[in-house]
Amino acid sequence: MRNLFLTNFPGLICCLLAVSPALADAPPLLFEKDVRPILQAKCAKCHSNTVQKGALDLSSMKGLHKGGESGESALADSVEESMLWIMIDGGGMPPESEPQLTDDEKQTIRQWLGSGAHATDHVERREKQITQHDVLPIVLLRCVTCHGARIQRGGLDLRTPTAMKQGGENGPALIPGDPDQSLMIQRIESEACPPRDQLLKYFVRRPGTAEVETLRQWIAAGAREFEIDPDNNSVSLVTDEDRRHWSFQPYQSSFDRDSIDEFIIAKLKTEELAMSAQADRDTLIRRAYLDLIGMPPSLEEWKHWHHSDDSDWYANMIDELLDSPHYGERWGQYWLDLAGYADSEGGVSADPVRKVAWKYRDYVIDAFNEDKPYDQFLTEQIAGDELLDHENATEVTPQMVDNLIATGFLRMGIDQTGSRTMNFVPERLGVIDGAINVLGSAVMGLTLECARCHSHKYDPLPQRDYYRLKAIFQGAYDEHDWLTFKNRYLYVDTPERRRQVADVNPPLEKQVRSLSRELKQAETALRLELLRQHYPEQSEEDRNETLRALGIADNNRSLSQRILVEKLQTAELIPDEKQPVSVLEARQHVADLQEEIESIQQEMEPSLAIRALWDRGEPSPTYLLRRGEHDRPGPLVSPGVPAVLTDGQTPFEVTPPFPEGTPKSGRRLAFAQWLTQPDHPLTARVLVNRVWYHHFGKGLVKSLQNFGVNGDRPSHPELLDWLAMTFVESGWSIKSLHRTIMNSQTYKQSSRVTEESYRRDPNNRWLSHMPMRRLDAEALRDSLLFVAGRLDQRFGGPPNPISVDRDGLISVKPTADGQWPRSVYVLHRRTQIPSFMATFDYPVMGPNCVSRTVSTVSLQPLMLKNGEHVWELARSLAERVTSQLGESAGDADAVDLVYKLALSRMPDDRERQLGIDTLREFRAEWQDQPDLALITYCHTILNSAEFIYID
Amino acid sequence: MTIPTDIPNSRRDFFARTSDGILGAAMTYLLSRDFFGKSVLASETESHAAESRQAFNLQARQPHHEPQAKSVIQLFMNGGPSQMDLFDPKPELNRRDGKLFPGNVEEIGNQGTDDIGVMMGGRYQFDRHGESGMWMADVLPHTAAMADDLCLINSLWTDHPNHDNALYKIHSGRLFMGYPTLGSWTVYGLGTENQNLPAYVVLQDPLGPPKNGTRNWTAGFLPPLYQGTPLRPTGSPILNLKPKYEQPSAVTESAARLLSTLDELHRQKRPHAPELESRIESYGLAARMQLSATEALDLNRESKATHSLYGIGERWTDSYGRRCLLARRLVERGVRFVQIFMEEQPWDSHADLADNHRGACLRTDKPVAALLRDLKERGLLDSTLVVWGGEFGRTPTTQKSANGYSGRDHNMQAFTSWMAGGGIKGGTTYGQTDEFGHKVVENPVSVHDFHATILHQLGLHHEKLYFERSGLEERLTGVTPPRVVSEILS
Repeated sequence: MRNLFLTNFPGLICCLLAVSPALADAPPLLFEKDVRPILQAKCAKCHSNTVQKGALDLSSMKGLHKGGESGESALADSVEESMLWIMIDGGGMPPESEPQLTDDEKQTIRQWLGSGAHATDHVERREKQITQHDVLPIVLLRCVTCHGARIQRGGLDLRTPTAMKQGGENGPALIPGDPDQSLMIQRIESEACPPRDQLLKYFVRRPGTAEVETLRQWIAAGAREFEIDPDNNSVSLVTDEDRRHWSFQPYQSSFDRDSIDEFIIAKLKTEELAMSAQADRDTLIRRAYLDLIGMPPSLEEWKHWHHSDDSDWYANMIDELLDSPHYGERWGQYWLDLAGYADSEGGVSADPVRKVAWKYRDYVIDAFNEDKPYDQFLTEQIAGDELLDHENATEVTPQMVDNLIATGFLRMGIDQTGSRTMNFVPERLGVIDGAINVLGSAVMGLTLECARCHSHKYDPLPQRDYYRLKAIFQGAYDEHDWLTFKNRYLYVDTPERRRQVADVNPPLEKQVRSLSRELKQAETALRLELLRQHYPEQSEEDRNETLRALGIADNNRSLSQRILVEKLQTAELIPDEKQPVSVLEARQHVADLQEEIESIQQEMEPSLAIRALWDRGEPSPTYLLRRGEHDRPGPLVSPGVPAVLTDGQTPFEVTPPFPEGTPKSGRRLAFAQWLTQPDHPLTARVLVNRVWYHHFGKGLVKSLQNFGVNGDRPSHPELLDWLAMTFVESGWSIKSLHRTIMNSQTYKQSSRVTEESYRRDPNNRWLSHMPMRRLDAEALRDSLLFVAGRLDQRFGGPPNPISVDRDGLISVKPTADGQWPRSVYVLHRRTQIPSFMATFDYPVMGPNCVSRTVSTVSLQPLMLKNGEHVWELARSLAERVTSQLGESAGDADAVDLVYKLALSRMPDDRERQLGIDTLREFRAEWQDQPDLALITYCHTILNSAEFIYID
Repeated sequence: MTIPTDIPNSRRDFFARTSDGILGAAMTYLLSRDFFGKSVLASETESHAAESRQAFNLQARQPHHEPQAKSVIQLFMNGGPSQMDLFDPKPELNRRDGKLFPGNVEEIGNQGTDDIGVMMGGRYQFDRHGESGMWMADVLPHTAAMADDLCLINSLWTDHPNHDNALYKIHSGRLFMGYPTLGSWTVYGLGTENQNLPAYVVLQDPLGPPKNGTRNWTAGFLPPLYQGTPLRPTGSPILNLKPKYEQPSAVTESAARLLSTLDELHRQKRPHAPELESRIESYGLAARMQLSATEALDLNRESKATHSLYGIGERWTDSYGRRCLLARRLVERGVRFVQIFMEEQPWDSHADLADNHRGACLRTDKPVAALLRDLKERGLLDSTLVVWGGEFGRTPTTQKSANGYSGRDHNMQAFTSWMAGGGIKGGTTYGQTDEFGHKVVENPVSVHDFHATILHQLGLHHEKLYFERSGLEERLTGVTPPRVVSEILS
């Protein structure tokens, strides 16, 4: 072991720096006398020997030299490069909320740094001792793909020092004390390993010289293994003061009040406001329907509630809506937003489709419909694979299958690791980060991802805690033992389903194969026909060459091939009306075959594949990554939860769930159990706040995804806690939470803004009325379909396909009987979101969406007013009206029925008259097509503000 | 409940007299807006006060500092044009044509090394041009004639050798999908000056979309209204610009009247609901867009001389020429950001580079130069920043492909892009690469620097332009501060 003494270090720096003449004669500033008192006064709260935010200790020269978590010293050869100076000079330290350094103090520090950072005490700097934990991260990154858990080339496993010494077929991998004779050094230095021609195959890069040097030094020093505990002592990184932040404290559990209204009214009183009157009955009906099931009531339902003389009609209506299977479709979508649900991988330009992601979508919808307790819902999604041992079960049960499907929650982010070149460790870490981000923003209300590269800027989340969370996932998401999106599937199902698949699919698959061959021929025939028709002068040889060129990647085509392909593309672009009959016939043939294949595929039993996340039993050790860089490992960390949410003393206990069965680490299960403790300060609060947000358009805590220091404070802290407590006491029942909220007078208020409330509370923070809200993309689309009578009522299953027309319009394909499914069942391919939904703010999932934005842009009216689809739906609505009333009915009846169907109310006299007048006008204007008058009227109503805003 | 007793009826009468078939619905909207006598714009600014962080619009906004450019036209050269063949002559590379790469082939910087061939000299003749003596290859004669207006940046570099990721990077500053593009950030920061046209327009090649498709103009996590609006190459240029169903104009007008009346009744019952006014306004904008866009996109309003300047009507240049001319008409009308793409990735010449690049130049050179000349003559070049370039450059070595060794692989370590107009110093060549054009050796410009410089010219400061997401301030230029390349600014 080499020790490097740097006793002369300060003197050396002195020579390097230009010191101003005036200062040259003055006695040098000293750390102990001049600088430490300043740091003590202004920095010690967070950077002392007991509290070390950012792993930084400013109380001693040793601490300064060591620097913070980035691994960089706080001192450097010049003032401008010294981290200490950078941080206090515009680097945001001390934080705004703390006493600031005076200009004099800053100047003193600057002079001290500039004069060589002298100290009275000798600073003895020892070079860091190299341990196995400096070596293992390098070996994990460069070697274990071929010498690890899955493959052991040459019989060699390099995952532990013991195994290295034990070696493989060619003898030990290393000889302690003799790096030159150590096989692993020889192999690396001769570039035999990692082998050049396999770098891309195994997604490995060569070690850099510094890494090889580290290996050498460790071997030279005897390749010793040290007893090193993972760096999980939280005492100095997070303080009790940090724990005092409101959302890290347990929620309050005794209250003076016992209903939402009491809390809201009390606050309104202090603000000199009052609750608005109850909204009228029709408004309440429409509000509740759109809120809970995302569609307006049917005519019969509206009539029923509108005329009901039961005094409990409203509460009964809420109960019925909660029992509707459409409830899960509406509220499941909110959860899918949080999970970042998508039917494609994203990342690479091909945007490969995830064929069975929909199983997770259906799991979520079912869970909401069943009112699965939220603690169970979370546990299944985070650790479903660790709840039941399906590998050792005599028979796979539906519950086991569901649990595995549930883990899709953490598999929804962008994943490009199945592509040819994007499966290196950084891309894998990106997938893990996506999952941590989803967990933080959706479930914990914490911006955990901020602590990936450095300790959180605002919250007491040290960088180490991010990596402890990463360690929670290490058993399943191990960047050194990776499964790509292509092979991260489980094929598990009940015996019954297995039989069904085996019975039903093989003959259908055979048909599809043969039709696909036919389709290929038809496509070729179409291309040849296009060329023959549009370029009669072209030689047959050129035509065949065009087809050959299509088989070559476009960037590998020669110019002549490119020109040939371009000709074909030009011919393809000519619109149908200008194509000869033979081309149209060929096109039709292709379309028919495609349709036939699709319809057979729909008859097939869904595959057994599950897009799951499961523990594989052998997690690699987890290291903090300095600055988040994959090749700058820091200390070893153990699995754990954010220290600020613990007492800082009790260790995080993990026990393998199936000691007699399949080996699994149990880390995610332990995490889920911690997360769903009844008194967890965040879990229930974050959820009730979210549900509140969807009912009132605004959370009690406005920053839904951030309950941290920089997030918003709750507008009604006690109410939030009361809701959290009530929610947990109800057995984490989301449906009972809906009942509590929707039966309150607060929820039943009118949405009209009075002058008084506008003046006193323009943003309606205190809820003196209901907010008016625009329907989101799904509710708008689903409502249009429903009102038009064109909504397909099927539930679940593989996503409904979409089509992209020649102009780029992306549409949902109608079903065989001319209907459309609900939006939640449409294929959510990241690059092909249906134009209608994208126009109404369907988000890009990256990795998830914590709240939708609402934009008002002219592309929306273009879509609603000029688009073909809405016109067609208006036609259907008109047909419904006509068929219900009969041809002979008067305009007044037609207007009434349109209002009832589309707006769930009767028109007033003026509106009725307006409708009658306009219908007459339309008939005159349509002249020979008077039946179009009613369609035009319906189309206008579907375009009206009242249709797309909820009162 | 108060119902406005007079307005609807008088409106009806009013429109019955004034609507005519030519202006149709659009005019009806314009008039209905005026008729109500309420300044919708004023109410909009009002509505965006206070806490409406979830409401966004495209109203023009104050820049952070005095801007040099009002608009950007990005001539995106998808696939990665070759710097050593077009802009950055390398005599040493030419001398070593056919020889082995002298260094470690792993440093070429791509994923694999199996198919790396010998060095390949520049495929074209170079010459100096303009008073500045700027180097340019003979396949770009028209662009070369504009040399004194251009600033070549020979020292760009990026972080990934794959198209997909390098495209994300050059457009959104990140290697991954889901981040807003430069154009989105620009309109998020500045809004637009013409509400009747989309703020951020994308002109695609009729032959097909570029590699990565819509992700080249995504708003990422910004609200979707900031994403690029692709003008469709065939059919109606803006989705649903015109009704997709047949309707006599009299019906359209009556329907518009009915809608205005219903919405106005609805709004009057709901005071202090600015979103309803915005919505009514959006219907007005849509109708005006119908008129404005039709006019703006009509190239027949341009003279024959202009058409021939851009090469419209000529076999090779017609398509790109039309897009360039369209771009000029759009920025002339206040559109903030225009991107022009070619199909798939025509510059990606792994094979037959000499022919393929010649073809790509043939298609673009004349129209691009015409755009610069035209903007200049109209006094628009001063306020329009034109940016030419791709996602990376090409290697000094050849690569094995279907045709043997005749093309170059991707090079993330150096590439050339040029800028013109918008306060850029013309006649400048900035940055140096090594003797092979392989790596940057002087004045490196990262993609973040590149973006920061473009934002700077638009009056936006890369640090001040941010969007709060999950408690994080997200920026186009990431966390580490970029450098505005001030040496190339006039």
